[in-house]
Amino acid sequence: MQTGVEADEVRGQLLEFVSSLVGAEPGLDEDYFERGLFNSLAALELVAFVEHRFGITVAAEDLDLDNFRTVNRLTAFVLGKTAGADASQ
Amino acid sequence: MTAPLAVRATADFLPERVAKVVDLPELAELPADRRQACLDLGIEQVRADPRYDAVELAANAAGKVLAETGARPDALVVIGSRAPERLMSSEATRLQALLGLSDALTFSVGGLGCVSITPALLTARGLLAADPALDQVLVVHGSRPPTPRRYRHPVTVSGDGGQAVLLSRTGPLRVLDMVQATNGDYWDLYTVRFRDLPEGDWREECADPRRYSFQLAVEGRLRLRELYRELLARNGMTTADVNCHLSQNLSAGAFRFTEEVLGVRLAGACAENLVSYGHLGPNDILLNLSTAIAGGELPPGSRAVVVNASPVAAWSLLLVEHVRDDTETHYL
Repeated sequence: MQTGVEADEVRGQLLEFVSSLVGAEPGLDEDYFERGLFNSLAALELVAFVEHRFGITVAAEDLDLDNFRTVNRLTAFVLGKTAGADASQ
Repeated sequence: MTAPLAVRATADFLPERVAKVVDLPELAELPADRRQACLDLGIEQVRADPRYDAVELAANAAGKVLAETGARPDALVVIGSRAPERLMSSEATRLQALLGLSDALTFSVGGLGCVSITPALLTARGLLAADPALDQVLVVHGSRPPTPRRYRHPVTVSGDGGQAVLLSRTGPLRVLDMVQATNGDYWDLYTVRFRDLPEGDWREECADPRRYSFQLAVEGRLRLRELYRELLARNGMTTADVNCHLSQNLSAGAFRFTEEVLGVRLAGACAENLVSYGHLGPNDILLNLSTAIAGGELPPGSRAVVVNASPVAAWSLLLVEHVRDDTETHYL
């Protein structure tokens, strides 16, 4: 479990991974789902990356596309989940 | 332990005429990226034969299984077609008449897309458990796409095919257990509008492709993992007790999705049938099981888990066992 993760560090890791998935670097507030390049396998890869890299679990109630559609939104989601995990320890 | 259910025999009717995916007329009306997505599905051709409607496809398969086994089933359970030829009339009793099964308890089930095979099997198991005098149930389905366009973006290409499954309490393929889950939030994710539209304008439309490719995909990951864990746990098994994994046939990408979600390898029978027949709705999984048995991928004494999912949204897993009993007649 990572603790005290910095927003910039999380954002940088997510930007690098999303760029590898869509084949180009999106803007931090750009909706990469709008590009139409995100298929089911890419979605799985993204969720698996987030879970493994940041030690969180993406549950059914987290499956709001708004949590995942941009790098900045995904960063906020990860920080919220890691803060929750830290608080519960 | 659940009530006993076993497959005595199956037959598939796959009409002769073939349509190559690359020649599908709807590809000409698609933008380049969608056309390429269709060609990348892993489907080379499908059976496409306008001489048969869905009921006739089912009747041909049922005729084969009845002729091969000499069975006289006590019940006929019809999985309803996606787009019946007529409203008001009954596909189930039409099949009853075509098959001459005048004494068979006859009705339809469905509503879950390709997962509709599971309620059919659950119904058969329930009938056999409830009535000791009832010995054989025939489940049939004729699969044709609901519109003239066979490509459902970005999911699959649908072919034509009929299937009949003869079930009883004993048989060469025991259905040890079944689990199913549904989420009605997705009930209209894929729809075909047809009122006041000529048939040529009917299309399978996804209301929200992003919801399909993200939300449903990730929920499917959670659901399938939980169902898989539940299925094995309640039967006192681990993955080491399962020799073979199968799924329905949507695309090569969908196979990879299932493999990644469950951490398993799917049997070669799935890709073999996908490339030649495309998607046959509720008929896929038992076609794949038959192919796996014929190809030695599920030898006697071994077990398989069969995965099915539908965008309505429904998920289902079956746990089956190929019985080690050479005295049984095999029509699988």
